[in-house]
Amino acid sequence: MNLFIYQLKQAYLSLKQKPIFVLSVVSTMGITLGALLCVLTLAYVMLIKPLPYPDQERLYNVEHQLISNENAIDGRAFTYPNLMHLYNKQSLFEQSVLMYVDGDVITSLPSEPMVALSFVSPQWFSLFSAKMALGRGFEASEKVNSYNPVAVLSYETWQNKFDGTANVLEQNLTLGGNSYRIIGVLAASNIEAPLAGAGFKTELYLPWDYNSVSERERKRWGNDDGGLIFVGKLDKKYSGYSKQKIDQILTRLVSDNWQSEVAGHAFFKDWSIALQTKTLKSFIVSDGERSVYLLLIGALGLLLIACANIANLFVSRTVERQQQLAISAAVGASKTQIFHNILAETGLLMFVAIVLAQFIIFIGFSALQYYLGDFLPRIDELELNSFSFSISTLLLVLLTVVFSLLCRKMINYHALNTTLQSSGKGSGIQVSKRVRNILISSQIAIATTLVFINVVLYKDASELVNQPLGYQTENITSVVLALPSVEKGLQVQKINELKSELLAHPKVKNVSQAMRPTGFGTLALTASITEQRYTVLGKDVDEQYFNMLEQEIIAGENFSAADIKDDSSVMIVNDVFAKKLAPNGSAIGFKFKNGVEIIGVVNSINVPGRQRIESRFYYPASLARNMLLIEQHQGQVFSRDEMITALKKVDRKLSLFSFTSLNEYKNQRLFSSQTTAVTTLVLAILTLFLSGLGLYGILNYSSQMRRSEIGTRMAIGAKGKDIVGLVIKDNAGALVIGLAVSFVVLLVLYLSFSDSLSAYINLELLPLFMLTMGAIALLSSLACYIPLRQFIKKPVIHSLKGSE
Amino acid sequence: MSTAILSLHNIGKIFETEELETHALKSINLIINKGDYVSISGPSGCGKSTLLSIMGLLDVSSSGEYFIEGVNVTDLSLDDAAEVRNAKIGFIFQSFNLIDELSVFDNVALPLRYHADKPNNATIKKRVTECLEKVALSHRISHKPNQLSGGQQQRVAIARALVANPAVLLVDEPTGNLDSKSGDQVMDVLDQLNKAGTTICMVTHDPRYADMARTKVQLLDGTILQSPAIKIAS
Ligand SMILES: Nc1ncnc2c1ncn2[C@@H]1O[C@H](COP(=O)(O)OP(=O)(O)O)[C@@H](O)[C@H]1O
Ligand SMILES: [Mg+2]
Repeated sequence: MNLFIYQLKQAYLSLKQKPIFVLSVVSTMGITLGALLCVLTLAYVMLIKPLPYPDQERLYNVEHQLISNENAIDGRAFTYPNLMHLYNKQSLFEQSVLMYVDGDVITSLPSEPMVALSFVSPQWFSLFSAKMALGRGFEASEKVNSYNPVAVLSYETWQNKFDGTANVLEQNLTLGGNSYRIIGVLAASNIEAPLAGAGFKTELYLPWDYNSVSERERKRWGNDDGGLIFVGKLDKKYSGYSKQKIDQILTRLVSDNWQSEVAGHAFFKDWSIALQTKTLKSFIVSDGERSVYLLLIGALGLLLIACANIANLFVSRTVERQQQLAISAAVGASKTQIFHNILAETGLLMFVAIVLAQFIIFIGFSALQYYLGDFLPRIDELELNSFSFSISTLLLVLLTVVFSLLCRKMINYHALNTTLQSSGKGSGIQVSKRVRNILISSQIAIATTLVFINVVLYKDASELVNQPLGYQTENITSVVLALPSVEKGLQVQKINELKSELLAHPKVKNVSQAMRPTGFGTLALTASITEQRYTVLGKDVDEQYFNMLEQEIIAGENFSAADIKDDSSVMIVNDVFAKKLAPNGSAIGFKFKNGVEIIGVVNSINVPGRQRIESRFYYPASLARNMLLIEQHQGQVFSRDEMITALKKVDRKLSLFSFTSLNEYKNQRLFSSQTTAVTTLVLAILTLFLSGLGLYGILNYSSQMRRSEIGTRMAIGAKGKDIVGLVIKDNAGALVIGLAVSFVVLLVLYLSFSDSLSAYINLELLPLFMLTMGAIALLSSLACYIPLRQFIKKPVIHSLKGSE
Repeated sequence: MSTAILSLHNIGKIFETEELETHALKSINLIINKGDYVSISGPSGCGKSTLLSIMGLLDVSSSGEYFIEGVNVTDLSLDDAAEVRNAKIGFIFQSFNLIDELSVFDNVALPLRYHADKPNNATIKKRVTECLEKVALSHRISHKPNQLSGGQQQRVAIARALVANPAVLLVDEPTGNLDSKSGDQVMDVLDQLNKAGTTICMVTHDPRYADMARTKVQLLDGTILQSPAIKIAS
């Protein structure tokens, strides 16, 4: 033990002499290990760690699939009556939860804040073992169809909207014209299951009965709604059932009933329903899984390239320590003792790096939570835990042993003993040409592969970011109004007054009554003559819409003001749908069974993340529509406060549900692409930089070791360019091998993932690969040239002297 | 005068380190004529190697002028100096400076590979064989240097120095790393070469070998000691 401490002390003293070396190793390893551990912990939390709910392995989400007559999955969301049927009739689950998410304005609070709502059935609280800070959750008194107007606040809502007052339980709140009595507040430690997507944090819980699905929709068997969610806890009795069996039982229960209910609808002839269960854990993680694997690949790549570089630094360091090690050997240090010495030094360095990594993880967790919280589920469960600790320890031991063995391999103990006698021109430390070539090849292979992957991802993301949208977003704000439920005529009147009020505002140029341009619903259409059925994305707009958005009408005409006022049976389709309806002629005049006729064709718009070839159509919006697009004059900003002022001027009961500029929507949609573009660009540059540094490291010490040879060649007449040519030629083999290996790796990657990669891969990538190889080759040549400058830019005697 | 191969006029060399200026050479004047066999000797640190480096264009002087075959080579660029070294000068070093990875043949051929005339392979082969014959090593042509004894290695180095037909051989302590028998053999080869017309300038601190030269230069603290045998450049 004493000896161990002595060796650590020696290692410390010896490293103190080499601050640059220590700094390079510790910072490079610290940062990369930090990044890797961060991503590994994320992967653990998302993919392995059990959900923090009792009997989590028995929790299931049920997906509802609408299967068309062509046997294609037409929708993956529940229809309301099917959901209720499942909830009321099923017997597989011992507990089941209905949930619907939405947002609304709390009008009883002076600030009229918009809150995220979850309408839940009572077992939500027991199934997720919700912990309460105050009061109680929903119970039998709030069971479905009891219509008991009570509310439960999230801890944050209590703190931020109700100042954390203790008497909150005696208060009521008003929302959508209804008053709810507050009966409970969830505890701060409660972890909400992200059922409605990673970013959704419920602020207010209301009983299921009050969900925002209208009475009419609640009875429609054909309309699905993505907000409807079902979670159940499988009864212990059925634990032995396979997924197929469970799906079969549930499908039969719902589909049979549905078939008889829609028997009268021609549209649904030969359609069916399928229910698919998924463990709650995989349901929650589903979308994030791909991102986690991508992050993992990135972090592992970074670690590889960092290790390759650090290996070079260790090799350089060992070459430098030749004299010191020779003296140790001369005074009697055994081979084992010298290895222990190296082990102590490497271990110490790796230990400091791992400690630094813990800080990086800490920062990394905050960054992940801040930037990816809305995209990846369960991210708020990230913490330094026994998992990250054990992986850290494992990496510490592994890296220490690997680097130490590498150093030991270089040292020829017997030659070391003769080093001193042969006046320092010893061969005690050797980096064989083979080892050097392997280092160079692996460095180049890793760099080329990583740079290429990053460049491809960058190209893809930046194309998405830069593609024209097909409509303009400048100076336009999308507004959603929260209206008290009143009779339709009155609502039309109020909205008309509001439109006049807005148009009179000096900053406002124009107003259109429509939802933001990317919002579409899915509607069913049947052609008049052929009886062909279509499921198409549709959207209601007024006569101002296309002008305001500068979406070009390429055939026929726009809606007239009268079309909107009279709710005429007309529609405008996009070019894709027009082409589908009338492949060879004009779609103008085409009629559907419900009497609607096509009067115009517009250019398609691009919705990031969706296919360009989607069929879409536009139909006249109701004058009672609660959504507006407000165009401002160039350079003017019409603010949220000005909007609220206008609203209150018309009617104090009107409130603002949301107020978002089209540019904000655009940025939200492009956020992940933009992040990808920036990250991949930074990673590509970082990789180039690191590998350049690594190659420079290898070629620098190999030039040092060839110093005498270079001097001799120059003495007998070699010029600078001859020497550079010689070194490049000597390393060309390793370069070519490295490039070839990267090509094979990329090919294998492509062949094994060709299905999911086909979107990224095409022939255009060949020049890109050439370019990457060119860049790496240039970098390698530079890495050859720069270390040679010290020899070829000075009188030859400097090179010759150094060898003596 | 017309036979002067190397002529140094007032050559000085100062090494500057952080706090120290070393005047390694002070105003050296020296002429070496065609066919000469000059030895430079003196105590360790007197500037022998420095002088030889400047004569061989391996280093630049701090002052003075230097001519090779009448051409001023004092301020040549690095590349031009390399060309002159290749064409006019053959080096023999104390530690042989053979390249371990190359065979004897390739080591000897090396100066021709860097030659401005780009001789073809047949010419190279012919020259290399001739030169190896001169040092009696034809039978070792495809060996690697580490398969040869020290004396043999130095003879390979001599063959390499001769291969491009240089105007002068510059030799620095050729026997320093050799036992006396091998050393004698090497000196024998040099002696024969000079007798056949090769101009030689050799640094040695061994008085026995210095005596083998026809002209002896004594160096002390960077200056040439006057001696009747020395031809001073005018
Ligand atoms: N690169 C150098 N930097 C500083 N001083 C040098 C350098 N090379 C040689 N010297 C000094 O110049 C003097 C002559 O050295 P050198 O020519 O090697 O002597 P010799 O070959 O006669 O033993 C010595 O004092 C030596 O210390
Ligand atoms: Mg010397």
